[in-house]
Amino acid sequence: MKLLLIEDEKALATSIQNYFQRENFICEWAADYQTAVEKINIYRYDCVLVDLMLPDGDGLDAVRELKRSFPETGIIIISAKNSLDDRITGLNLGSDDYLTKPFHLSELNARVQAVIRRRSFQGSQQIRFGKIQIDPQEHLVLVDQQEIVLTRKEYDLLVYLIANKNRVLTKESIAEHLWGDDADLMDNFDFIYTHIKNLRKKLMDKGCPDYLKSIYGVGYKFSEQ
Amino acid sequence: MKLLERILKYQIVTSLSVLTLGAVLFYFSVDYLIDQEVNKELMRSKAKVSWQLRHIDELPVYILQLGDSLQLDQVRYPGQMALVERKLFNEFESEYQPYRQLIFYERVEGAWYRVTISKLLAQRQQLLEAVVMTVTFIVALLLISLLLLNSWLSRRLWRPFYKTLRALDSYEVEKHEVLTFPKQHTVEFEQLNQSVTQFTDRLAATYQNLKEFTENASHEIQTPLAVILSKIEGLFQDESLKESQLVALSEISEAANRLARLNQALLLLTKIENRQFLAGTEPISLVPIINRKLRDLEDLIEQREITVKTAIEPTGPVMHPALAEVLVNNLLTNAIRYNINGGTIDITLHAGKLVVRNTGSPIHIDPELMFERFRKEGTHSASLGLGLALAKTICQVNGQTLRYETDGPWHILTVTW
Repeated sequence: MKLLLIEDEKALATSIQNYFQRENFICEWAADYQTAVEKINIYRYDCVLVDLMLPDGDGLDAVRELKRSFPETGIIIISAKNSLDDRITGLNLGSDDYLTKPFHLSELNARVQAVIRRRSFQGSQQIRFGKIQIDPQEHLVLVDQQEIVLTRKEYDLLVYLIANKNRVLTKESIAEHLWGDDADLMDNFDFIYTHIKNLRKKLMDKGCPDYLKSIYGVGYKFSEQ
Repeated sequence: MKLLERILKYQIVTSLSVLTLGAVLFYFSVDYLIDQEVNKELMRSKAKVSWQLRHIDELPVYILQLGDSLQLDQVRYPGQMALVERKLFNEFESEYQPYRQLIFYERVEGAWYRVTISKLLAQRQQLLEAVVMTVTFIVALLLISLLLLNSWLSRRLWRPFYKTLRALDSYEVEKHEVLTFPKQHTVEFEQLNQSVTQFTDRLAATYQNLKEFTENASHEIQTPLAVILSKIEGLFQDESLKESQLVALSEISEAANRLARLNQALLLLTKIENRQFLAGTEPISLVPIINRKLRDLEDLIEQREITVKTAIEPTGPVMHPALAEVLVNNLLTNAIRYNINGGTIDITLHAGKLVVRNTGSPIHIDPELMFERFRKEGTHSASLGLGLALAKTICQVNGQTLRYETDGPWHILTVTW
């Protein structure tokens, strides 16, 4: 998979690049509008991450440019602007998602994967992890071809965990992914634990190995080892 | 007391005292004139009587009849001429009346006579009455005209002043208003209006600057926060970290997350106050927002065993949909956060009114204070303390009212529009 990151803040760009490299993605970086447009017009990317405020231009123009040259490329806007107008303009221009800074890299990762999945052909839309197979369109979860019934939150949690497999996920990032702005309603994170526990139990009941490790004081990690 | 009333008070006091003083002076001067006149008349009578007495032998006797006012008494010796005042009984009107008498002595045919000429002083009484009546009439006239003038002045001349006052009264700095007025003929009012215009102009500009600064600052904070959070997240993946380091990192991450949320809430608050979310023209139904929110929160509601009762009609105020969302969000999350386990939430939505009631532990301060920023009752550490402030601000900019009341275990938040 090939990503283009259009972001003028070097420190943030490095973090994002590092994160996606671990995912075995190729993540190229353009620090300004000019470089971005050059790259957009030459190369093909699976997904482009655009910051709206660039030193020499408006990220929205880059989105327009991209839509013209490669309309099938996934686009995620990452912006410090949370203004509704920008969000609507961005989505109207054909961007797939809009993420407000600051965000969790794991969240960005999950969204990138969702965008790529949506934009690819039917066959590869399936999410596979070990014995687990998920059909995102049907919200269907199979373990060894047996269906397991998950609640909406458990399903979201599972998809999020798999998208960020082999990584340490903080409780806050999980809470924010599942409840968005209401994450601060979880006065302690026991509540996440309830969901984790239920999910783990449902998976293991169908013969899944225990993929979910809890990392003391931090959060969880979903991995095959 | 109104300025005009105060002026009127002084006007009345001044005119009353001037008029009373004038009346007294008038009375005395007229009295003096009459006095002089009476004396002159008496002297003329005296001259006449003296002449008549000296020529009494040549004149018929009846000539001397000057009526009651003339009296002749024979005396042995002549005395000093005197002018006296005394009350005499008037038989016609059967009462005592003031008379002025001129007493003098005249020698008639070898004998001395005391001549007394009396003159009724009835004029003085009449004069007093006339003066008092005139003054009373003038005072009444003056009062009425002052009152009339006053009300006319307040209606006409003072109208621009009251207009300015009303405009200032309803002035809201949050609206970034600059008050302007039509040109006035009165110099003072024109000056006042110009000052008010300049003042509100500066105020609006300052307020705007401040708000822009807040917004920009909040905005600029987002990027460094994003860097911090992304670096922490990168570090978490480092397997060489010790547990204690991970825990410390986790705490840093939590704090940074909280800072990010706080910053976003403040940014939103500032934007709402800056009126960046303009209401549309159509009312928006709150029903889908409420239902969506309840669905989002259902597992939380379930976990805390909260019963939710709804009685909602498809209605809602005219406002920006995003703000409606934030408003409903904050009211509902507030009702859940401060609820007790096993409690109840009552949501009623009717035309012009949204009521969210929830059970909860009693608060010990004025409920209205809960709308202040960062005001928290109890120790809900995860709460930013901005939820209700946000809800209040949204209602304020949209012209709705938000009230917080408590009733026993119930906390009642009411939005009316």
